[in-house]
Amino acid sequence: MNIQYKKGVLELCVLSLLKKHDCYGYEISEYLSNHIDIADGTVYPILRKLRSEGLLTTYMQEESGGPPRKYYTLTKLGREVYEKERAEYLDFAKRVEILLEDDDNDKK
Amino acid sequence: MTKSEFLLKLADELKKNNIADADDIISEYEQHFAFKMADGFTEEEIAAKLGNPEYLASQFENTCEDKKSGGKKAASVIGLCIIDIFAGTFFLLLMAWELIMAAFSICSLVVAVCLLGRINPRSLIPPMPYLPGVVFGLSLAALSILSVTGCIYFAAFMRQLMRSYSRFHQNTIAAASGGAVLPSIGIYPRLPAIINRRIRTVAMFSLVLFTTCFVLGMALSMIISGSLEFWHAWGWFGYNSVN
Repeated sequence: MNIQYKKGVLELCVLSLLKKHDCYGYEISEYLSNHIDIADGTVYPILRKLRSEGLLTTYMQEESGGPPRKYYTLTKLGREVYEKERAEYLDFAKRVEILLEDDDNDKK
Repeated sequence: MTKSEFLLKLADELKKNNIADADDIISEYEQHFAFKMADGFTEEEIAAKLGNPEYLASQFENTCEDKKSGGKKAASVIGLCIIDIFAGTFFLLLMAWELIMAAFSICSLVVAVCLLGRINPRSLIPPMPYLPGVVFGLSLAALSILSVTGCIYFAAFMRQLMRSYSRFHQNTIAAASGGAVLPSIGIYPRLPAIINRRIRTVAMFSLVLFTTCFVLGMALSMIISGSLEFWHAWGWFGYNSVN
C-alpha cells in the first residue's frame, strides 16, 4: 500500500495506542509493525511530528536494570484531537467501504 | 549496514535537512537498536527493518524553512529585548525574595537555638523566663523549617518559570525565522509525587507546631508574668516595668 496513504492513518493508530497507556518509542514501533506492514523506523518521525504539534509530551522514567526510557503520553489536546479524528476516520472508512463494495456488485 | 553506519548516515542526512534536535532523534534509533539486539537480532537485520536512513531523515518535518522575512524577525527580536528587560527585573525581584526567605529561615533558626540553649549574645533577645523561652524557641524552629520548605518550593517554581520563559523566547524567535516551534512549558513545577508529598507533610507539620507553640508561649508568658501585656512586665522594647 502507498506509504503516503498510510501516514495519516498511522498517526491515528499511534494516538489510539497512547490513549490506552503511555509507551516508550520502541514499544510503539513494535506494536505498529506487528499490525501494519511498515518499516520499523517510520514511527519515530510520526512521534516527533505529533509532539511538535502538541498532541504528545514525553517524560523519562527509570527502568530496573537499564537506562531511563523516554515515555510518550497524550496531552489534553491530543485526546481531543484523537476523539475527533477517530470519529471522522470511522465515518470516512464506512463511506469508502460502501463505495468499493458497490463497485464489487457491479462487476457481478 | 551496521548500527554505526546507519546512525552516521542518519545523522548526516538530518544535518543536511536542517532538522533541529538531531541528537534526540539519533538516541531514539540507538535505543531501538539496543532493544532489538537484546531480542537477538543482528545489527544488519535491524537496520534493514528500520528502513533507508535517507528516506527516514526526509520524513522528519523540515520545519526550518527559508527565512520568511528579515524585517519580521528583526521586529520580534527588538520586541523580545524589551520584554526581556521587564522579565529580567521581575526575575531579579523573585530571586531577591528567595534570598529574603532564606535569610529569614536562618535568622529564625539562630534565635531558636539561642532561646533553647539559653544563649543571649549582647542581650539582643528580650529577657524572659526559660520555660516560655523554650516554647518560643520550638515555635521559631518550626517557623524556620516552614520557611525552608517555602524556599525549596519557591526555587522550583522560579526555575520552572524561567524554563517556561526561555521556551517562549526560543519559540518566538523560531516562529519569526520559520524554525521549529516546540510545545510551551507550563509555569507550575512538576516535582516528583513523593517529594511533593514530603514537602507538604513537613510544611503542614511545621505550621501546626509553630502555631501551637506560639500560642502556648504567649499564654505561658501571660500566666508567668501575671499580665496580659507581658512585654511591659518584662521591660521589653524599652518599656520599664516600674512605670
